[in-house]
Amino acid sequence: MNTIIKVENLNFGYTRQDTILKGISFEVIQGRFLAIAGPNGAGKTTLLNLLCGLLRPKAGSIRIDSAPVESYSAKKLAQKVAVVRQEFVPVFDFTVAQMVSMARTPYLGTFGFESNTDKQIVNEALEATETAQFALRALGSLSGGERQRVFIARALAANSPVLLLDEPTSFLDLKHQVGIYDLLKTAQLEKGKTIVAVTHDINLAAQYCDEILLLGANGNYHIGETKDVLSPEQIERVFGVRTFVGKLGQEKFFIPLGKFAKYSGQIAGKPHNIQQE
Amino acid sequence: MNKWWWLLLIILCLAGVGFVIFGTQQAQNPGPSPSPNNPDRVVSLAPSLTEILFALGLDDKIVGVTLNSDYPPAAEKKTKVGTFWQPDTEAVIAAKPDLVVTLQIGQQKSVADSLNRLGYQVLALKIESIEELFTAIQKIGTATGSKQRADELIENISGQLNYLKSKYSPTNKPRVLWVIQTEPLRVAGRNTFINEFIELLGGENAIGPTIQQYPPIGTEELLACNAEVIIQSAMGKTDIGRQQQQAEVFWSKWASMPAVKDNNIYVVNSDTVLRLGPRLPQGVEIVGRCLHPDTSIKSSETAQRIR
Amino acid sequence: MAEFLTSKELAIKVSICLGVLVVVMCLCALVGTQNISLERVFDGPGQKPGENIDYEIFARVRLPRVILAALVGAALACSGVVLQAILRNPLADPYILGISSGAGLGVIITILSGISWSFWGGSPIGIFAFAGALITVWLVWYIGHFTGKSQATSLLLAGVVVNAFFSAIIMFLTSIAKSEQVFSTIFWLMGNITDKELSVLWVSAGCIIAGIIVLFTVCHRLNVLALGQEEAKGLGVDVARTRIVAFACAAFITAIAVSLSGLIGFVGLIIPHGVRLAFGPDHRQLLPLSAIIGAAFLVIADTIARIIVAPAQLPVGVITAIAGGPFFLILLAKYSRKVSWLK
Repeated sequence: MNTIIKVENLNFGYTRQDTILKGISFEVIQGRFLAIAGPNGAGKTTLLNLLCGLLRPKAGSIRIDSAPVESYSAKKLAQKVAVVRQEFVPVFDFTVAQMVSMARTPYLGTFGFESNTDKQIVNEALEATETAQFALRALGSLSGGERQRVFIARALAANSPVLLLDEPTSFLDLKHQVGIYDLLKTAQLEKGKTIVAVTHDINLAAQYCDEILLLGANGNYHIGETKDVLSPEQIERVFGVRTFVGKLGQEKFFIPLGKFAKYSGQIAGKPHNIQQE
Repeated sequence: MNKWWWLLLIILCLAGVGFVIFGTQQAQNPGPSPSPNNPDRVVSLAPSLTEILFALGLDDKIVGVTLNSDYPPAAEKKTKVGTFWQPDTEAVIAAKPDLVVTLQIGQQKSVADSLNRLGYQVLALKIESIEELFTAIQKIGTATGSKQRADELIENISGQLNYLKSKYSPTNKPRVLWVIQTEPLRVAGRNTFINEFIELLGGENAIGPTIQQYPPIGTEELLACNAEVIIQSAMGKTDIGRQQQQAEVFWSKWASMPAVKDNNIYVVNSDTVLRLGPRLPQGVEIVGRCLHPDTSIKSSETAQRIR
Repeated sequence: MAEFLTSKELAIKVSICLGVLVVVMCLCALVGTQNISLERVFDGPGQKPGENIDYEIFARVRLPRVILAALVGAALACSGVVLQAILRNPLADPYILGISSGAGLGVIITILSGISWSFWGGSPIGIFAFAGALITVWLVWYIGHFTGKSQATSLLLAGVVVNAFFSAIIMFLTSIAKSEQVFSTIFWLMGNITDKELSVLWVSAGCIIAGIIVLFTVCHRLNVLALGQEEAKGLGVDVARTRIVAFACAAFITAIAVSLSGLIGFVGLIIPHGVRLAFGPDHRQLLPLSAIIGAAFLVIADTIARIIVAPAQLPVGVITAIAGGPFFLILLAKYSRKVSWLK
């Protein structure tokens, strides 16, 4: 039950005056899947950037594997934490294999040639994400979903205990959304990776993640097991949206209700619980 | 990781060592062996130098000239070794010269250095005034074993210059504006050999002292200088007559200038007039005719004037 | 299955290319305005200068030129590769960050002031060009760092500003120069390969080769750098340090090339592109192959420049531009169809 990420009293703001994150403290235990959700501008991506060392907190500390983030060199930190952001096509037309191999950079020698171990790890990552078939294709020739899988393959190839993802499925179709979360869950269960994913989809978070951190716009936050934290009241408080809650066996799902949404008329006033047969 | 840094260090040390070795070798190199004073094969890298060599009677010894050596006509038949601005080292070597005569200008300097290093005899001259021309002729004379003829040539030229000087004695002191370029307007200042011609013939440069040798001037200055004679060096070899007409049209804009009023505008062939060489007196005479039109005989030659 | 670039594979490719380069260099040294025979060359130098002109022309005029062209071509091509990676811009060339105007300023100051002492065999113009280039590059780096923490855009902008400023000074100085000084300056700026002394060649070769080796060690990190600063940091690359090392080396070898031969354009721009098209964007391969192919390209271009309008010579920059221009247009057409580059 090793704590791999420990955040204490984190304060951060981009300018001297304002503060986006106030006094945030939480722990992530190794091998857990944490979702970070909240309204736009609450600071989710900022929190992620703080966790991977790209930003420095104004106050408070962040520890990865018991050492402060600042104490790691870029090389060592990359061996502990792998980050997956929005997919993009690089300026030069690298192939999928070349892109995934870049994850091995912290492990390479002076001239940067991959050893047999490196090659094996890259191949495994390609297999795991089902992108081996694209290995020799240029990134620009793939679809967005395929590219996102390549970026995740790269993160897996880094062989790091922690995976940070920033909205990995935002622009993907349903099949890919589910596919990627399945992939992440497999990585967590089979390889014991700790996963922290920023997401807008609370249902996917509910389905796949063990814990969820809800960041409110005014700086307050709630963290805990998804089944405890996610409730229609909590969601309305943080997101300002009423939801219809349904149950599928033991699991809950939430459907947001807009003013003109078709269901709105049927559920006048308060949120409603309906049992699913 | 370490072995590669060692390799790097070794390479840099080799470079340094090689530099020192070759550098000192270079310094120790006594240069070309002392020259025989009678070279049989001479290469000239400038048209003016070619003319001087011909004037010293060395025509059959010349084995290479640059592209624009057009005077005397015999020069055009000699083997070409590149251009005045960019001499061809290979061609010079192929001509097997005993002596290479060059000007101390830009690219010629570096070619001269190369040839020197390879062991060839090089004479570098600076000819930017009449005085320097005489010095150059003397040096060439000494280097080619024709000192006597060189002295004669110098006497000849200075004699002619003195004659011209006295012929065009200063009754008036005309203010002369020598235009070398019309767009933008650039003139010869007081620090040029052109100015020497003007003063030799009893004239005065319309432009006062300037820091630049060939300053561009504006209309204000142009009108204020009150030039009584305007001389323009022709661009290239195109029809002088046509250029003369164009010049008169160009200058008619400033009808208030004395030179324009009296139509004292002349276009001269820069190849003849501005080449500091044995034909200097002819050039000076042409300029003299421009400055003192009353003492001149109408000539059909390079300077024309159309009333 | 993924294919990886192995050191063995790279060594083979580099050796083949090097072999081709040596053959090209020898062939080009045999070509020139004067016809020489190879047999006579092997007779060796005579007792006194002028005895065996074939040997002299081959070994002491042409070979140094060919070697110089190879060195300059290699330096410019490598520099182009590195700058395109650092600035993430396929249109970058080695002169983009101030080297051209800095060197030019050094040159015109030397010519105007008439300094003529030669420093251990290196001409004063070359030395001042070198100094001018490095000082300007440092200035651009400092300004870029000052205004935007060395982000690619701020570096580019600093380069543009400094170039404009120095070009203005050059223009002013040119306006007050004598005509032959002006021609000398312009001639130098156009870029020319001339025969240099052995000592100068030796030192330059050592420095350029050393620079290219250092750049090679940074290549695998350049791959990552090409993805952007954030991504690169996340993949374990010390972005600031890699940038400085790569940039300083590239600037250094470019400054040497410029001090030897003036501003030869297009080599640093098109060779990286051509090699990338043929061999892919992996910098571990791109750099050494660009160096060799850049060397061969400039040797051939210089040979053409030497013979095509004999007895005159064209500046080699004319040939590189004529070859480079159409190629560049083709590249532009190809890239404009690739949406990614226009982002």
